[in-house]
Amino acid sequence: MKLLTAYFTLGYPSPSMFTKLLKAAEDSGVDIVELGIPPRFAKYDGPLIRRSYEHVNRLGMDHWQLLKEARRSISIPIVVLTYLEEWVKNFTSFVDKVHEIGVDSILLPDLLIDYVDVFEEYFENAKRVGLTLFTSPSMPDKLIMRVSSLSKLFLYYGIRPTTGVPIPVDPTTLVRRIRSLVKNKLIVGFGLSLNDIADVLKAGADGIAVGSVLIQAINDGGVESVTKLLKELRGVIDGV
Amino acid sequence: MRDKYEPMVNTLNKYLDEILPNYWYNIVPDLPKPLPPPIDPPENSSRIELLQQILPKEILKQQFTIDRFVKIPDEVKEKYGVLGRPTPLYRAKALERFLDTPATIYFKFEGALPTGSHKVNTAVPQVFYAHTEGVDHVTTETGAGQWGAAVALAAALYGVKATVFMVKASYDQKPGRRALMEFYGAEVVASPSKLTKIGVEIVERNPRHPGSLGIAISEAIEYALENGYRYVMGSVLDVVLMHQSVIGLETMKQLELIGEEPDVLVACVGGGSNFGGFVYPFIGLKSSKKMEFVAAASAEVPKFSKGWYKYDYPDTAGLLPLLKMITLGKDFVPPPIYSGGLRYHGLAPSLSILIAEGIVKWVEYKESDILEAARIFAKTQGIVPAPESAHAIKAVIDIALQAKKNSEKKVIVFNLSGHGLLDIENYRSMMLRYQKQ
Repeated sequence: MKLLTAYFTLGYPSPSMFTKLLKAAEDSGVDIVELGIPPRFAKYDGPLIRRSYEHVNRLGMDHWQLLKEARRSISIPIVVLTYLEEWVKNFTSFVDKVHEIGVDSILLPDLLIDYVDVFEEYFENAKRVGLTLFTSPSMPDKLIMRVSSLSKLFLYYGIRPTTGVPIPVDPTTLVRRIRSLVKNKLIVGFGLSLNDIADVLKAGADGIAVGSVLIQAINDGGVESVTKLLKELRGVIDGV
Repeated sequence: MRDKYEPMVNTLNKYLDEILPNYWYNIVPDLPKPLPPPIDPPENSSRIELLQQILPKEILKQQFTIDRFVKIPDEVKEKYGVLGRPTPLYRAKALERFLDTPATIYFKFEGALPTGSHKVNTAVPQVFYAHTEGVDHVTTETGAGQWGAAVALAAALYGVKATVFMVKASYDQKPGRRALMEFYGAEVVASPSKLTKIGVEIVERNPRHPGSLGIAISEAIEYALENGYRYVMGSVLDVVLMHQSVIGLETMKQLELIGEEPDVLVACVGGGSNFGGFVYPFIGLKSSKKMEFVAAASAEVPKFSKGWYKYDYPDTAGLLPLLKMITLGKDFVPPPIYSGGLRYHGLAPSLSILIAEGIVKWVEYKESDILEAARIFAKTQGIVPAPESAHAIKAVIDIALQAKKNSEKKVIVFNLSGHGLLDIENYRSMMLRYQKQ
């Protein structure tokens, strides 16, 4: 079965709605959720997710409290998404905290880009939780081969330069290039359209990740819109 | 076998088809490290989103659909043939004799193309894709005029209109190139101009501003955005370097046919397109032999010795996304040297990585040094090199003389990215200037 991964910004659009969204996601057939802790500079994120970060930052929330509630309310795996840049100085205590809360993995999109020379150190350091690795088409084949099996739960492959912006790419070519290099579950994300979803799954991806479209759905119609969209996506990926 | 093909290695018709590649080569999957992605500045407006209104769709697709080999469309391949690809690979025997070096020197002559430089290799596919998407007007910038002339020609081939923003220092110094662009039917505007907001702003601050490539790029993009045209980019982007890979792929084949393997590869560097196009296939596809790669740049635009490796805008107004690259800063105003193609603050991100990792070495030369190198080349090989390409020649001369000192039979191959016949007035004024000193 193909995997559906859903991204939510921690506490967006409000703490109470956020918890409802997570329940709705679990009930709509989502396999894994990624929860984003707002960074100071979300450099690889597109406008929608950036605005969601600004929104929750303005509200001023306790990320740890929200993560705890998230853990309590759903039983599917939770991957915490944040930039290493934010935690580089106190990475160990960061890992301790998420470990204590009981999340399943950590995803740091800048790890293999800005910290590629020292990524193994952080990998080691995060072992008690585990890291889900983020890769992109602009990474060398050799690196993708080297890291793919180390990644916890799955290997994330972002096929566009940023989230939620429909830059034209050829998903089939992109997925085919790395499929044979990856000895792990391969989840593809970043700006996927319905057509893209069919293409990436046919090209050999094990699942998809959606984020910006969910933020848009939250903005448009809250839990109801999100549920509808997730059920539709579940149907699409099961149909491929 | 060797004598048969010398000195013009690839003139035998039966090999022509074999030499011109069917695929472009993209080095990104073979880089030593991940290429940091383009990013948006922290504020809300997304430059990455804006790209969709700036570049032809297929160009954007090629930029971000990273694959090692990308098929050259038949229509483009046919135009490459029309324009004289494959270009010749010569042995520079007379230069070798003059230097009395044990080294063997070859050069790929991109100056043999109609506009006198390698630039048309990417102008043709970019304008082709714009044209097939129904775009009838393209804009671009140009420094010395080589890129502008290539776009003017490509636009003429596809019956598309072209507006070229030409850096003012070059506009004044190089009336020949300007005339060439106009001859092909392009509209040429001195930059900073009064046609755009950024141009007006800069002229108001300094009415005698000499202009820069960074400013001209911003003007060309703004003009395209305002009018619904598309912008074509002459260097820096990975997709441009990929199109230019025909230079290196051909050279590889040509060397193979004569049974040579290079020890050193040299090309000049502005934004990095002729260097990347010429050298990348050797870096990425020929891992068996240890080779040296040398990038020759201008000491007046000291990006290697004084630049930073950081995220910066490719254009002065910051309309394009930030790229992680070696840069002197987007506001750097280069002195009005004659190598207009090297007067650029930044460097292609892929080449920046290769420099930062020490895989590609660099040298920087002053204008007075390259004048001498250009004259030696003209007086021995007969070809007047473009001042940009003369930087590569200067590096080759230095390497060949070093080989003489060490009695090394090195094989040096360089890219003569352009001829300098349209720069001859500039050489004349260089001669007057430097002979006085």
